[in-house]
Amino acid sequence: MSGGGELVFLLCGLVAMVTAVLTVSAKNPLRAALSLLAHVVSLAGLYLTLHAHLLAAIQMLVYAGAVVVLFIFVIMLIGPSGMKPSDNPRGRVLRGAAALVMAMVGASIAFAVAATQAPYVDLDQCRDGSAECGQFGGVDALGDAIFSGAAVPFELVSVLLLVAIIAAVAVARGHSPEEKKALEGRGKAVE
Amino acid sequence: MSFDVNHILLPIVLLPIFGALYNGIMGRRVDKTVVTTVAVGSVVGSFLLSLVGFGYLLSADASVPPVLVHDVYEWFSITVGSVDVPVRVRFVMDHLSGIMTVMVTGIGALIHVYSTGYMEDDPGYARFMAYLNLFMASMLVLVLASNFPLMFVGWEGVGLCSYLLIGYWFTNPDYAAAGKKAFIVNRIGDFGVLIGMFILVAYVAPRSADAFEFSTINAMARTTLESGLGLGDAPFSFSGGAATFTVATAAGLFIFLGCTGKSAQIPLFVWLPDAMAGPTPVSALIHAATMVTAGVYLCCRLSPVLVESPTCMAVIAITGALTALLAASVALVQNQMKRILAYSTVSQLGFMFSAVGMGAFAGGFFHVFTHAFFKACLFLGAGSVMHAVHAHGDADIRYLGGLRKKLPATHLTFLIATIAIAGLPPLAGFFSKDEILLGAMTWFFEAPSRWNETMSFTENVTSGNWAGGWVGMFVFVVLSITAAMTAFYMFRLYFRTFWGEYKGGHAPHAHHDEHGHEGEHGHGEHDDHWVEPHESPDAMTTPLWVLAIGAALVGFLGLPHLIPVHGINWWSGWLTPQHEEFLHVYEEAVASGAAHVDALNQGTAAARRVWSGVATLSFDDQLVHASPLAAGLAMGVGTTVALLGFLFAFLWYQKADGEIPASMMQRMPALHRFLMDKWRIDELYGATIVAPMKWLGVVAANLDRFLVDMVLTKLSAWAMKALGFVVTRAQNGLLYAYAAMFVVGFAGLTWWFTYPHPSPEGEETAVGQVAWTVTPSLGTEFRWDFDSDGEWDSEWTAEGRAEHDYASHRRADPSDHSGAQIDALVGVFETLADNFGPNEHVVAQGDRPVAIEFPSVIPNEMWLHPGARREGLAGVFSDWFPSRPALQMATVQRFQGRLPEGQVPQPGEDGKRRVRLRFSIHPLPTEGNASPAATWGPIEREVVVAEDGRFGVLLGVEEPLLPSQLPRAIERQDDGSELVRTHGIVRFGTAPEAQEAIDFAPQTGMVVHINDAAIRDDDIDDGLLLLEPGSRIPVGNEMFLTVAVQVRATVEARNAFGNTTRRSESLTLRVARRAHAQAEVAR
Amino acid sequence: MQIGLGTYLALASVLFTIGAIGFLTRRNVLLQLMSIEIMLNSVNLTLVAFNRWSPGAPGEWMLQGQVLAFFVIAVAAAEAAVGLAIIISLFRLKNTVESDRADLLRH
Repeated sequence: MSGGGELVFLLCGLVAMVTAVLTVSAKNPLRAALSLLAHVVSLAGLYLTLHAHLLAAIQMLVYAGAVVVLFIFVIMLIGPSGMKPSDNPRGRVLRGAAALVMAMVGASIAFAVAATQAPYVDLDQCRDGSAECGQFGGVDALGDAIFSGAAVPFELVSVLLLVAIIAAVAVARGHSPEEKKALEGRGKAVE
Repeated sequence: MSFDVNHILLPIVLLPIFGALYNGIMGRRVDKTVVTTVAVGSVVGSFLLSLVGFGYLLSADASVPPVLVHDVYEWFSITVGSVDVPVRVRFVMDHLSGIMTVMVTGIGALIHVYSTGYMEDDPGYARFMAYLNLFMASMLVLVLASNFPLMFVGWEGVGLCSYLLIGYWFTNPDYAAAGKKAFIVNRIGDFGVLIGMFILVAYVAPRSADAFEFSTINAMARTTLESGLGLGDAPFSFSGGAATFTVATAAGLFIFLGCTGKSAQIPLFVWLPDAMAGPTPVSALIHAATMVTAGVYLCCRLSPVLVESPTCMAVIAITGALTALLAASVALVQNQMKRILAYSTVSQLGFMFSAVGMGAFAGGFFHVFTHAFFKACLFLGAGSVMHAVHAHGDADIRYLGGLRKKLPATHLTFLIATIAIAGLPPLAGFFSKDEILLGAMTWFFEAPSRWNETMSFTENVTSGNWAGGWVGMFVFVVLSITAAMTAFYMFRLYFRTFWGEYKGGHAPHAHHDEHGHEGEHGHGEHDDHWVEPHESPDAMTTPLWVLAIGAALVGFLGLPHLIPVHGINWWSGWLTPQHEEFLHVYEEAVASGAAHVDALNQGTAAARRVWSGVATLSFDDQLVHASPLAAGLAMGVGTTVALLGFLFAFLWYQKADGEIPASMMQRMPALHRFLMDKWRIDELYGATIVAPMKWLGVVAANLDRFLVDMVLTKLSAWAMKALGFVVTRAQNGLLYAYAAMFVVGFAGLTWWFTYPHPSPEGEETAVGQVAWTVTPSLGTEFRWDFDSDGEWDSEWTAEGRAEHDYASHRRADPSDHSGAQIDALVGVFETLADNFGPNEHVVAQGDRPVAIEFPSVIPNEMWLHPGARREGLAGVFSDWFPSRPALQMATVQRFQGRLPEGQVPQPGEDGKRRVRLRFSIHPLPTEGNASPAATWGPIEREVVVAEDGRFGVLLGVEEPLLPSQLPRAIERQDDGSELVRTHGIVRFGTAPEAQEAIDFAPQTGMVVHINDAAIRDDDIDDGLLLLEPGSRIPVGNEMFLTVAVQVRATVEARNAFGNTTRRSESLTLRVARRAHAQAEVAR
Repeated sequence: MQIGLGTYLALASVLFTIGAIGFLTRRNVLLQLMSIEIMLNSVNLTLVAFNRWSPGAPGEWMLQGQVLAFFVIAVAAAEAAVGLAIIISLFRLKNTVESDRADLLRH
């Protein structure tokens, strides 16, 4: 790995870890969302060091451009009233113990896999300087990989997204008064 | 397309099935005329087709077995041992089943016609007809089946129909109970038939194809067989222990148990009298004429097997005779018409079985035939009487009388049938009964005394030697007494029904007891039981006439042997042509002045040339010579006792009105009561079998109520509820709790995948080369110790595969750990076949001198006795070992010999020297007898010999060698125990007569021949051989010796945190395998 | 310091652990959803890293790790959309985004 790549890795890795910690520990959800934004951006940087150029771009588009924005949108929609942190101490011990176990498990995995050795693989570079060649991880290569080897899953994913959109609309749109009444009746019947 | 007469067999069976289906499904919706047409038409059609087939048999050339065979399809097949035995739907009409088919369909047709009149007003007319047709179909399957399983289908079918028809008026609880009784008692017998069938098939299947076919089984019956012992000599034991019976005896006794159920013999006869609860045509068709004779038919069908077992034959004969006597004595005093006839049927069936047991199969079957006519006629006549007096269920002869004027047709036919069954000449019963008595007499005169003074009492009993000529005399006397009783009770029935004054037809009061109290009730109630009798309709009298004519005439098919004309007895010539051929040749030889013995031999030889097997009944060579004295005696006694019975009945019941018997009854009330209660057999069974069963039922019911319902059900329900309570606590709806559980599972998985847990597996890639593999995982390293000596042989590596060459890493110095070491040396024996699997024994480990024990090829518990091994007896193959039943009770003897110089053959194309040798086993020579006769062999065997003429051979592998065939001597030891020593000489040679002798006792050498100093027998008889590296082991040509080494490797795995785990695994490397000539130990 | 496959994998496991701990300790559903996004991203990182060190031979189907990561991103987007819709619905129903309050299906 070239010297530049190491630097990018160290920088992005550090940022990713710090922002991840900030995300999960932030009191204010808006701050958490902004940290998440920084996190996904740093991951895109890591992808670049791994010669996954197109994936880095998609990461920026989908996560930074869509998902995080959606989060912020929802936070704005709900407003501070719903975000009041509850001071209910219930489950605090269990949460703490589970987090501890998870930390130990994660540490052991990290130690175990850190020793993994793999020979470095040289990749073909674009030699003629053209904008688009069969570069590893480029649009051409990844597109070819998806459409030649995973066309059916790709189409299925498009269907999944469609279903997700419909589901999101159906769940989030709320109910008319008549529907609400009917739902309440059902709830009572259940109780 | 030309007409193939074989194809008529299928429609014979299918027509009644069609009738049953049509009437069963459509019968209630269509007109009664249609029901009648279908029911009667189908049976009449079957009858006509049977006549066509029988006519073909009659007209066929006598030199070939005339058999009609129709193979419909292969139903299924079962695996016996390693053989697939097909079960075919195949019908066969031969001489035996031809007669039976014609009889069943003919009498069946008549009874169908009769039923149209008798059951005219019954609301379940169509159901009744459907049952009758189904019965006909089952009976035809039973008769025409070519194999055991298909026959059993019919056997069960007739049992089912019998149950349905006995309980036809099922709303009456007594009748329904009678049906159940018949069904359950028959089940016991069917169990016997199944066991018998399995015994036969288990023995026959490995030796012959199509083991279920009767023809195959019968062909295996004889003692001299190419493929081993016949059924009559093959030993049989249930438990794998000492065999005391032959296969024929065991199978025959079980099958006879089945016959006692179906044919109502002691001890299973109790259902038949109760079966009279069914409508009268049913009693006539099923319980007198056809179904109950199925047992006799089966015995005739398997006659070649039965004659091989004297024990079985004698048991059948004695059981039949005792049944005949018991039933006849009960019939003497009964008052119900059908009940008398029912006991008469049991008695007559006893006659038939006696005949079968005496070897007079043709005679017994003749009685089946004649009995069908007169008994059907009697039952239908009884039905006509009951019809006339409106008796429902049964008619009491005490209230009948004088009917001969009112029912002329019924009277006359009844009289003819009565004369016939009483055995008065010249009607049918006389001839068939005469045949049976003659059979018994012949047995008495001709049966050889089998009792062997040199054998112990027990051996004599178990081998059937007890069944000598006395059985014939016993049967003859008992049957003669029974014949007198038969004539008496039948004429009693006749006179009381048709002569004297008519007494109204019914008991005066419904609730009278046996002795009656008519006087107390006066005659005012006369009117409600007084019925004016009338003759039955033509539909009922026509069958009566046909049957009566049959009863009068069919006897002439089997004229007595006493008449000195050859072939006078058509019947016996038809069923046992060998017998006829024997008599023919014998008589000609005697006439031309040959000696008696020579004539017998000539006759036997001629008889053997006649075709046999499924087409004909068997005959016993020793019993064919019926002397005129026996014949005359049988006929004289038979006729005299019948006349005597008739005379008493005439004097007591026709001349007088039963005063003498009444006074006898009063003088001997206990005896009368005893007979009236049918010897209290039902009560006996009730107390000994039914009561304990009921008690068991009560116990089981209470167990069910308290244990199952209370404890098991309630407890398990409560436990589930408790478990559910606990488990639902986890379902608390808190997301973090679910996630925490998730984490715990995740931690477990992580531990599993990161903690080292290798499971090494070895695979031999070349001789001595082993590739050991473990599944690698992330961050895990391995190191190997290929010989498990505690010293690591490789460095840490992440590779999951390590190869090691055991062949080249041999260790001269035990303290040198630089290379890996072979862990153990293993001797693996494989012999005979792969049935046993390789027999591996690790005998030495580590650095001790390696020795191989050559274990028995047979598991130890199968040794003949503890001392057997020392004397060279290889052991005993028990018959529980299913895949090689050929070796039942056979011993395997291992011998080494050496061909004389100059006789060693040149190597063949494959480099092996082969020679064909002839072996036999003789006892040791004694002073008086220098060359005793062989107790086994001679047999020929191709043997591979070594260069110097040595060879090894296993005797008894292909030709069973029974322990009794080995010369034996019993030595008394100092400690008082006995040691059975086999001691004898094996003779072998290339010439026709075996010449060279091998003394095989005492044999202390090993199985494997040893000629190399490197392998030495240390002369201590502990079964150990010393084996050193480079040893060469020549083995006998029958023996496959595999020398193998066992290696054991240990692997240690280490993960990134330094956790380590060790696992060891052994692998057996075959160094030499299946070495016919020589095996080299590559150590 | 030699940066190799092991380094990436170790980083990914750390990120995954952080996400998992966040999911365990926070009760705000929004934050839990974000933790899930972090975990998904860490898995994507391992996929892409593995793909870098065993890219497959030229001429065969290469880039399988990246293709899989691509699909994970697509699915994560769908998940975020539906998840956020559920959060809105929950807020409407209970006027809160505490995950503990959504316990209608408990025993």
